[in-house]
Amino acid sequence: MSDTPHGYHGRYLHVDLSTQRSVVRELPADVLQQHIGGSGLGTWLLQQHTPHEIDPLTPDSPLLFVFSPLIGSPLTTSAKFAVMAKSPLTQRINDSLSSSHFAIAGKKTGHDAIVITGHADSPACLIIEPESVRFESADDVWGLSSQQAANQIRIRLGKQFHIASIGPAGEHLVRYATISNDGRHAGRGGLGAVMGSKNLKAVAVTGDRLTTYAHSDELIAYSKDLSRKSFGPATAKYRELGTVSNLLTFNRLGTLPTRNFQQSEFAEAERLAPETMSVTHDRTRASCAACTIGCEHIFHVSPGDKGVRMEYENLFALGPLCGISHPDTVLCASALCDELGLDTISAGGTIAFAMECAERGLIDAPDLRFGNGDALLQTLHLLAHREGLGDLLAEGSRLASQQIGQGSEDFAPHVKGLELPGYEPRTLQTMALGFAVGTRGADHNRSGAYQVDFSDKVDRLLATPGDVTLAIETENEAALMDSLILCKFLRGVFDDRLAAMAEMLHLVTGWDIDVAELQETATRIVNAKKDYNIRQGWTPDEDTLPKRFLTQAIPNGESAGAALTEETLKRQIEAYNLARGWTPDGYIFDHESAS
Amino acid sequence: MSITVEFFGLARKRAGVASIEIDAHTIGTAFDVLESLLPKWADACLDDGHLKRSFLANVNSRTFVNDRNQPLQDGDHLLILAADVGG
Ligand code: SF4
Repeated sequence: MSDTPHGYHGRYLHVDLSTQRSVVRELPADVLQQHIGGSGLGTWLLQQHTPHEIDPLTPDSPLLFVFSPLIGSPLTTSAKFAVMAKSPLTQRINDSLSSSHFAIAGKKTGHDAIVITGHADSPACLIIEPESVRFESADDVWGLSSQQAANQIRIRLGKQFHIASIGPAGEHLVRYATISNDGRHAGRGGLGAVMGSKNLKAVAVTGDRLTTYAHSDELIAYSKDLSRKSFGPATAKYRELGTVSNLLTFNRLGTLPTRNFQQSEFAEAERLAPETMSVTHDRTRASCAACTIGCEHIFHVSPGDKGVRMEYENLFALGPLCGISHPDTVLCASALCDELGLDTISAGGTIAFAMECAERGLIDAPDLRFGNGDALLQTLHLLAHREGLGDLLAEGSRLASQQIGQGSEDFAPHVKGLELPGYEPRTLQTMALGFAVGTRGADHNRSGAYQVDFSDKVDRLLATPGDVTLAIETENEAALMDSLILCKFLRGVFDDRLAAMAEMLHLVTGWDIDVAELQETATRIVNAKKDYNIRQGWTPDEDTLPKRFLTQAIPNGESAGAALTEETLKRQIEAYNLARGWTPDGYIFDHESAS
Repeated sequence: MSITVEFFGLARKRAGVASIEIDAHTIGTAFDVLESLLPKWADACLDDGHLKRSFLANVNSRTFVNDRNQPLQDGDHLLILAADVGG
């Protein structure tokens, strides 16, 4: 294809599982330049393949694996891809990023994206190579963990294949099931359930199709310099301690969600801190494919075991949020989520919600109490297989609270159905806005507004309309990083992040793109996600926080008294909508401009 | 004027202590005192008398500060944290 930009194949693959047919479709150069790749290109593709309002767990619902122009380049942290679909948890757009050799092998199949629709008659494995698309039975691996299934499929197909697969939670349509690949996970929003609803256990990819670079020599020099910087002080926190080192900081600032957001400090946080666990547990380090930072810190419960990758989010969600202080319980719960294919944040959030319901007598679950580690582990098993109370909790905290009723909706910890990550919104009020307006729900990866709260630019306990432009900047930056795709932990190494992104895109694709044009691209991507949601039934009342956060102040500790009212949040949201150029209640003026 | 400096994450690792009491009346003088008491921490965290951009200073767990002239009160807690708190 003569006008295909460097860094791209200029085409994507559409596979229909129902007919077992596939077709290759062209991706026009202007679409690629306007949407880049990953999350941006995926949103455009999702719009093309979702002509009307759909149920995400039906055959029509498209599941996308989207690559990017930077994959395969020597740029550090670029081996990432986006998995996208309408989320069964939120009923809104969902893009979940992951990082592994699957990204590199997937792009080497010769496609910039893979779109999967339909439903296989029986459990299937989809196998994609440059010149062939075929299907094999997955009967023998159905029921296995994603890792076990991937291992068996690789033994059968050969080591050149890289596998994305679901575990039991995806098979049982748990609304926050993950898709795993090489031990990493496309975690949020239940894309594993979308895959399970298609009877698709695994996608296996391999290939040899390479893309070209516009300025190879300069790209290699730039990449070497970037790798060198990635060894420097800006990323030392991630290398030496990992994201888990947020725990004591957040606890000290009174912003660590505890016992289903009833408190913002956890008295036993020290026990779970990496500073303590590094003494009590063996620890090793690892990294994603093509990453020079290596932020993965793997803790071992017993010497010689394969260990558990701990990040702040799984530590907070399966620890303080559930009132659990025993490190081994948190490590085991985390390993179990990986094995079963569960998003740790939503699993922890939903179980913490159920613990509060049980303690208040709203559900009959005598063992489900904050701090009961055995109950946590048992509930993870139950919900992954939809057994007993697990069937209700597999729906996520929003739907579960609607069934439980009795006021429990007020403290179900979600926005648009997506459980909140480990940032207490009453004490980080720019982040509160980011959560409320997020197109995929409460999310710290699509809005980095916590960065604003952790600065001298705002008072984190007192939201003002002036803060919204800062929140928008972090959202735009995330939209670009998720489309190029680069790891956000690289952020600190750049003096001017947007200029750096423009430079990297130029070296790979040859586009003469400046910061202003990148800003426009970011706005286009954010608008396109909003437009998708509007077409799928979004209404302004979804952009809010659970009542608890708007009616109750933080009761005690360092942030005692911190409060956010409904009126304040509404004012912030309106200021945000207007700053985005939307109507005050959040509709896009011109739907077509986002398409 | 006695204040307590608390270190978190990498700043704690570099300081080798979780906290220390010092006399200082501004953020700037606090950094100067820390530089003489904890040279390894200063090497890693300070640049020309200011915190490197991978670190943040916070007073009493409320206000983030970036000005050497910012006054401190007796009994204040100065927290030194990582600037990037992505999870
Ligand atoms: S910094 Fe961490 S999350 Fe980012 S690419 Fe490297 S190992 Fe993966």
